[in-house]
Amino acid sequence: MALTQTANHHTQGSIVNHKEHQIPFISKIAAPLLWLFFFTSIALLTYYLIEKPFWNIQNIFSINSFTLLIWTTVTFFSAIVSTYSKSYLNGFTYQAKFTALCLGFTLSVMLFVMSSHIAPFLICWLAMGFFMAQLIGVDSKWGEAREASNFAQKFFLTGTICLGIGVILLAYTTQQYTILGIMDNLSMVSDYTLIVAALFIILAAIIQSAIYPFHRWLLSAMTSPTPASALMHAGFVNGAGILLALFASVMVSSNTLTLLFIIGGLTAIIAQFTKLLQVNVKQKLACSTIAQMGFMIMQCGLGFFNAAVAHLILHGFYKAYLFLSSGEEIAQGTPHKPHKISIKPLEAVVVLVFGIAGAYLFSILTGKTDMTDSSIFLTLIVAITVGQTTYNIVKQESFSLVQKVFVPIALFVTGIVLYALLYNGVTIAMADLPMIEQPQPLSIIQIVFGIIFLIGFFIMKLGVYRKVPWLYVKLMNISQPNAQTVLKYKTLQK
Amino acid sequence: MINQSFLNSIEQASNVVGKTWPLYSFVTSNPLVGYENMHFAEAIKSVEQLLGATTLPSASAFRQAFEQGEIDQDIIYKLLVEGGFNETIEFYINQLNSEVTTKAFNENHKLDRIMVKWLSAFMDEGLAEWEMPHKEEGFFKSWRSLAIYDNEIGFKSLGAIPKTSSSALQEVLGKHSAEERQRIFEYHLGALPGWTGYIKFREKDNTLWQQAYRITLEEYLAVRLTVADVIKAQILPEKQALTGENPIRNLQHIFLKAWEKTWQASMLTKLKQQGIDAGSKNAVDKYDAQLVFCIDTRSELIRRHVEKVGNYETFGYAGFFGIAMDYTNFEDGLSRKSCPPIVGSAYQVSESVLKGKTGEVEKVIKRNERKTFVNYFLTRMKNMLPSAFGYVEGAGVFYGFSLLSRTLLPAKTYSPERRNQLDYENVCSPEMNSTSTDINHSSIPLEEKIGIVKSAFDLTGWTQFSPLVLFVGHGSHSANNPFGSSLDCGACAASPGRHNARMLAKLANLPEVRNALRNRYQLDIPADTIFIGAEHNTTTDEIVIFDSEVPDSHATKLDALIQNLKKVQEMATQERLGTRSSGVPAAHKKTNNWAETRPEWGLAKNAGFIVGPRSLTKQINLEGNCFLQSYNWELDTEGKALEGIMQGPMVVTQWINNHYYFATVDNEKFGGGSKITHNVTGRFGVVQGNGGDLKIGLPLQSVNSSDDRLYHKPLRLSVMIQAPKDRIQDILVRNENLKSLLDNEWIYLLVMDPTQENEVVIYKKGLNWINTLSKSDTMETINS
Repeated sequence: MALTQTANHHTQGSIVNHKEHQIPFISKIAAPLLWLFFFTSIALLTYYLIEKPFWNIQNIFSINSFTLLIWTTVTFFSAIVSTYSKSYLNGFTYQAKFTALCLGFTLSVMLFVMSSHIAPFLICWLAMGFFMAQLIGVDSKWGEAREASNFAQKFFLTGTICLGIGVILLAYTTQQYTILGIMDNLSMVSDYTLIVAALFIILAAIIQSAIYPFHRWLLSAMTSPTPASALMHAGFVNGAGILLALFASVMVSSNTLTLLFIIGGLTAIIAQFTKLLQVNVKQKLACSTIAQMGFMIMQCGLGFFNAAVAHLILHGFYKAYLFLSSGEEIAQGTPHKPHKISIKPLEAVVVLVFGIAGAYLFSILTGKTDMTDSSIFLTLIVAITVGQTTYNIVKQESFSLVQKVFVPIALFVTGIVLYALLYNGVTIAMADLPMIEQPQPLSIIQIVFGIIFLIGFFIMKLGVYRKVPWLYVKLMNISQPNAQTVLKYKTLQK
Repeated sequence: MINQSFLNSIEQASNVVGKTWPLYSFVTSNPLVGYENMHFAEAIKSVEQLLGATTLPSASAFRQAFEQGEIDQDIIYKLLVEGGFNETIEFYINQLNSEVTTKAFNENHKLDRIMVKWLSAFMDEGLAEWEMPHKEEGFFKSWRSLAIYDNEIGFKSLGAIPKTSSSALQEVLGKHSAEERQRIFEYHLGALPGWTGYIKFREKDNTLWQQAYRITLEEYLAVRLTVADVIKAQILPEKQALTGENPIRNLQHIFLKAWEKTWQASMLTKLKQQGIDAGSKNAVDKYDAQLVFCIDTRSELIRRHVEKVGNYETFGYAGFFGIAMDYTNFEDGLSRKSCPPIVGSAYQVSESVLKGKTGEVEKVIKRNERKTFVNYFLTRMKNMLPSAFGYVEGAGVFYGFSLLSRTLLPAKTYSPERRNQLDYENVCSPEMNSTSTDINHSSIPLEEKIGIVKSAFDLTGWTQFSPLVLFVGHGSHSANNPFGSSLDCGACAASPGRHNARMLAKLANLPEVRNALRNRYQLDIPADTIFIGAEHNTTTDEIVIFDSEVPDSHATKLDALIQNLKKVQEMATQERLGTRSSGVPAAHKKTNNWAETRPEWGLAKNAGFIVGPRSLTKQINLEGNCFLQSYNWELDTEGKALEGIMQGPMVVTQWINNHYYFATVDNEKFGGGSKITHNVTGRFGVVQGNGGDLKIGLPLQSVNSSDDRLYHKPLRLSVMIQAPKDRIQDILVRNENLKSLLDNEWIYLLVMDPTQENEVVIYKKGLNWINTLSKSDTMETINS
């Protein structure tokens, strides 16, 4: 028994003999295994892009470059999380269970993206949600964690049912039971059916991505250990991007892109405001994720499914990093008032010129040169971001004049070039999928919404929102975790 | 008048909760500090009832201890028999198991949740970009102006909410009797002890945040009771039937005592067998260097290795080096306490630029400005629309590479050399001023400087000086660790101790101080002795020396010491981390790994405080269990130094020990719970999961080696002093607070009386003393 072993260790009597808690076998091998998967995926992806083989198993599973791209992404995140958890969860009662669930989740994502038949496709979607809900409640002794797990599970089940209805409806009407088969035969489906199916698929997507009003599960999921949150935010919530990319043809032919654009855009703005008032670091990160997911859906709505996939990968890096380092937020600060925004004419000129230069570079490198279609939105966002970067740097007194000119250039050129590399890589990997880049002609709705977006930008920039206490309370309340997952239980002595 | 009686009543009720310190300056205090004037057994009983906390070690902890021989068979047997328990030991161990804790629904779930929502919004210290509106008007008023929009509470109109906190209290409590009011206050303050403890902290310490955004317990209760009234939550707690004698509780007490007695007996045996004889006074003529470490338990291991590696003498002295100071950090300009929280700060220490280093200092300043800017810039880019989206796309790839390097290469990316090079300590020198705002008194009189230096040598029983004397403070480096400051020096209020060490070295080097010491006190410090500040990094066992002001004459000697300290680092890390080679890289990995929840063990396993000369303990491996205070009873004829030690370090070690004790026996209530689900709130604290009560103490990973295995042994502190018993008795008579700690069994006191052939006696309630020599004699103690 363990007791006798430790008795032994004590008689030698020194800290020297203190052995670290035994790491479960599965947690020891998970990380090397996942790194192996990761490097294999990269190798396969490279091979695929060069040789263009045809990998298809009985029309049930098939592998193309998009499959391999997602494999590479998800195994990267899982490998990082597993390596991290091996030491982070040392001594945790459920460390083995945690590792098994992470592996289960990773495998279900991998199977999901290689499914061509709708049966494994739907089962994997269900499994992804199941594993994630289990991770939220992995500490099953903890009452609030069980509540949070059940709460999330209900959302995920609903999502799977919606997806099931949408996909089966299409399969039934086309008499095709593979995803590609359905896409090739969409012309057989009536407009009405197509819209209904598209709406159900969109529902499934926005539940997964915690888009308002389905955001509450994500804000209540902090009962999972930190690395599980990293995996959730880097590899699970962005499932919508993958789903919508796979069903791009359905979205385009059902004319639901504008709907996606509005849902995504509204969520992006509301969640970004909500993020500003969060006082817990993990809830703050969750609001940020919701906003970023909103943006990703918006990119889909603009017809750039490839941009959405690039975004989900980059956001994964970003958010996984922030979760894994979320213990660094403790710091002593001093109360201070928000900075005033002011700009001198010359500074404004620099900001404007650099903004335009950035936009130009972006449009050239990513091929978004048409000024009259929906890509103008993405270009505009790049222009403003570059402008904001420049503004902050030219306002910084510790920089010399030369630095004020060259630092922004160095930053935006590096940022845009790296982005363009990844974006073009993603586009190449997605070449097999139909309709992943469908710029839409500019519509009135899009222009109106673009203006709303700009208004949001100015409200935020000028800090006007601070003067609306009512809004503060409303946003605080919509971003509270589910009531059952906080302070519901207490301990009693008997 | 009514208001005043309310306030008194609240003040009294607030004793039920301890203070919650912010994690950026974490103080290991006794969570039951408000109960210290009660007997330990009574205190824990009250707390159990009020907070539903566990206050004694669990059955499995006792079983582990028993099976590892940490509870001696004979000792437990005798104690059991004495308590009228006549079955076998095994029988009672099994009986301990019958104690169960159960989970129940929190009857004030909604009320607690709403309070946490508003408290965390109001008390935030800069995590949120958009702070709670009207905060500057204080908690009650700002809450009042927003509460009408909160449909969770459901006020009908602004008029329905009383205008001030006192009228709110009056409205809800008017109909209750004074006795009921008291119970109501205790019940509602105890409902979220972490948060109310933090309000207490802000009120008492009057921090900058408190000055800008006031919150008081009265305001808290006013809001809470007003909400409770509207949502129909329970206001008056049901009277709990006072539980009578609990036989299990008695058993647990007996097991705890047996565990503590066993520890004392084994320490005494070691001291008797190896310590006293071997360490008798054949001291070396002159040491090559002397190093003064903090009394911290972590110093014991490194002192052993320092002594082993060369002709060096070491001392133990409270790590704030006797300077009651606040320190203004050169990098962020913030002033922080840098002496024990129980001591008021008389001095303000800040940095001044060393001659000829202006250029370097400018670089340091530039670097800081750049760092502040980068933080501001990144926050701005992440928060604003739409740069938040563009930023993620542009910077995402960098985050990807950072993920890789931090996860896979934590040891390789840690560079202590680079870190030390950047230290501004190399180009600055500490300056001491008075904290008094009176300009005429801002410089420090020579007398006080002499006093500080003299007491350092008095308290530690110093007799001769070697050419190099190092004052070694301590600090820690850990990554991604909200509890990082809990690993820093406790005597410096959870700051690194380097500045106190540098300051004392500078004072002791002053010619006018040395002259005065020589002329007035016959304390002759040789001209070739130089004092140097240093810092022991407890995570890597590196000792950084701040030698920017050391004259060239000492360079060779210092180099030799530095070389030896490198060896010490390797030896110490090997012993501490249980490896046979490459101790330093292993420690570097611990220190820089963002996935490491146990970068080092801090003060875990503390159980004893030994006050006496190093010769007592020099030959013994104390396994990091003991605080060590150097003291020489022969030089302290009046007992003044000893009184200072018992009033200061002894009380601080008791706090630390009690903190570790309670955090170990109930980590959820008195500690921080597991780090793996922590959620940082307001930049000053952590909550678990989605939110809830603010955590008040050390996390699970600081006291347990796994979820269900203790690393720290929950034993009350045994203080062992080598000094004449009568002298100690006098001190206890003079200091009622110390006597009360002993009488109420918060700590033990053992005295080794050198005038009685080093016989050890143990204190018993009411100034009685019992003989105890070795393990078998301990039996008699228990019988008598």
